[in-house]
Amino acid sequence: MRARPLPVAAKLPVVVVVFMASVATIVSWQVLDRLDEAQTRRLRDVAAAHLDGLAAALTDPVIREDVWEVYDALDRSRQDHAGLRPTDTVVASRDDRIIAASDPKTFRSWAALPSQFLTEAAPAQALGIRTDGGKALAKRNLSSGGQPVGTVYATFDLAPLAAERRAVQWTLLATNLGITVGLAILAWLTVRHMTRSLRTLSRHLQAEPGDGIVPIPTEEARRVGAEGRHLYAAFNAMAEAVRERQVLARRLAEEERHASLGRLASGMAHEINNPLGGLFTAIDTLKAHGDRPDVRRRSLDLVERGLKGIRDVVRATLVTHRIDREERDLAPADLDDLRLLVGPEIGRRGLVLTWDNALDRPVAVPAMPLRQVVLNLLLNAAQATPPDGEVSLAAIVDDDVLIITVWDAGPGLDGHGQAVLAGREDGGTAGGPGNGLGLPLVRRLVIEMGGTVASTIRDAGGTAVRVAVPVRRTVPDRLADVA
Amino acid sequence: MTPWRPSRREILPAAMALCAMPSIGRGAARTDEIRFGLTPVCLTSDLELLARLKSYLERVLGQPVRLVTRRTYQEITSLLISGELEAAWICGFPLVAARSRLALGAVPVWRGRPLYQSYLITSRDRQADGLTDLGGDIHAFSDPDSNSGWLVTAAELTAVGQSPDRFFSRTFFAWGHRNVVRAVGSGLADSGSVDGYVYEVMRETEPSLIERTRIVRASEWLAFPPVAFASSAAQSEMAVRFRSALTRMADDADGRVVLGMLRLDGFRQEDIAIYGPIAAKIAAVRGLPE
Repeated sequence: MRARPLPVAAKLPVVVVVFMASVATIVSWQVLDRLDEAQTRRLRDVAAAHLDGLAAALTDPVIREDVWEVYDALDRSRQDHAGLRPTDTVVASRDDRIIAASDPKTFRSWAALPSQFLTEAAPAQALGIRTDGGKALAKRNLSSGGQPVGTVYATFDLAPLAAERRAVQWTLLATNLGITVGLAILAWLTVRHMTRSLRTLSRHLQAEPGDGIVPIPTEEARRVGAEGRHLYAAFNAMAEAVRERQVLARRLAEEERHASLGRLASGMAHEINNPLGGLFTAIDTLKAHGDRPDVRRRSLDLVERGLKGIRDVVRATLVTHRIDREERDLAPADLDDLRLLVGPEIGRRGLVLTWDNALDRPVAVPAMPLRQVVLNLLLNAAQATPPDGEVSLAAIVDDDVLIITVWDAGPGLDGHGQAVLAGREDGGTAGGPGNGLGLPLVRRLVIEMGGTVASTIRDAGGTAVRVAVPVRRTVPDRLADVA
Repeated sequence: MTPWRPSRREILPAAMALCAMPSIGRGAARTDEIRFGLTPVCLTSDLELLARLKSYLERVLGQPVRLVTRRTYQEITSLLISGELEAAWICGFPLVAARSRLALGAVPVWRGRPLYQSYLITSRDRQADGLTDLGGDIHAFSDPDSNSGWLVTAAELTAVGQSPDRFFSRTFFAWGHRNVVRAVGSGLADSGSVDGYVYEVMRETEPSLIERTRIVRASEWLAFPPVAFASSAAQSEMAVRFRSALTRMADDADGRVVLGMLRLDGFRQEDIAIYGPIAAKIAAVRGLPE
């Protein structure tokens, strides 16, 4: 799974923090490194000054092992070295026995030198700063005439240096942290300000489906700079164009519906007109030969068939185009009515209609929109199919999906028509030659029913349009009301 | 005649000059100069005292006086005997020890008597009631020629069949009573032998040093460290005037200032017999077979 990318408003502060952290680390490292060097140098200088200063005064008393003289020299040398001073100074003879120390209670005269002094002590110029809080132990050999006579040891408490280092560390940390946080906040505010217009655009583009693209209010434009205002103006112009296009598309769809209705009315009038001639002929026959029982019976049969035909046409038309706000499930007869409706058009064009309605009971899909869809498809198929061609319909419920397929033997839907059905293009010009009417309407109705529509070009020629609409879970116990 | 009263501003440069004198190391004294040797029987660390003493003596004697200090009693005693000094404030021990070549000049009077004590001291927090409690100590003596700072303790040990080297684990000389107090106060020595007079004066002048110590034992009263002359010069006119300058110090305003700083009542002539107890101690110590 891909990680969600950081928002732009967070990226720059993150970059600032990373950059400042890197700079702070390098600077802090260098400062502390220099501080370590300076402190080491100071320690070495103080130790060397202390030990060298004592050496001259101590050599003779050490040769004589004069306890008092050695102590007196150490006692007089006590002084501060700006926070860094020897805590203990111990003078030992050649055989590593203490002659005297600055703290005689801890380092008793004539006692053996602690082993730590022998192992850890280093000349002043080899001393180093310890970070474990321990003490530095310096030594200086005393000699007379080239012969060693004893050694002076001095311990230095490094706590003041460690405290100084800690203070510098905290100062660095606090300063760098403050600068980093300050710059990060500044970067965040800057980016927030810079991307304000983009965020507004994004919010308006991501409006709820059905709301369309909402223009940005004028007061919003007042809060951004000149660039933002230009951007908003361009966006609002685009939103207006989109809105006008949507209005136009809706109007076109309505006009298509009216055109479809007109064609149906024309077909219906033709269908009614056909038997009318026969009816008038039968009436004329009845006027002339009504007294003959056989003629009367044949004429009345003819009148009855003609009227039945007219009644069927009128009924189907009523069912199809009645103003019915109530949603009703699709009955098998609803499809069969369509066969009757398109029958005149099929006959007029000299086509063959193959009808395979496998529905045997009501199906829980909206009846009215589906009939409109199938009627449009059948009329288009009839229009596309050349004389003597075949138009077929198959309806079946498979796995809770109503599948209705309409075949024709025409040249097939062109790319634009297929794109309209697939939703890749709108139907603004769907009335083009060969594509029939109402393809946008078909698509819209199918989508509203939660279904899909697709077209394929058949190998044998012609087009197959397949509509699949899911069946609702609960089937209302209602019968088709067609009267 | 109005006595001259030097101000501190005048004395300090004089004191600095005094300090520089021994290091300059004049080979020969001026013929009219009186050389007065001082040992740590008094607080030779007090430069103002030395300057005022010199000033008083010069005025009264009417001639230049040079104060000479050395690290040990031995050096001062040797200089006195050899005629390098006209007078010296030494200890009773070398006076008695070199009785044939030294003469008693004057004896300081302290708290009404020409007597003082030797103290055994130890650190303030230590429990000790006498010399026997100090066995095995690191012990600080003042000077091998000091009565209170060595002889008294050595004689007491001799009396019980001991010697300093055996009774104490270690001993060392601190070359001055004040240094003994410092050594004991710092812990360099566990105990020390010190001049009771110096100790009591320090109680006023340097209480911070004294308060780290306590007195374990005070000895019997013994004759105070005297001002001595070489025997050969004991009856000279200079010796007479010098003795007079000392014994009349309490009668002079400047002299009283000096005596006040020394916490002394004055100087007076005493018979050498008062140093008999010290002579007995010397005999006792020297009589101990090695």
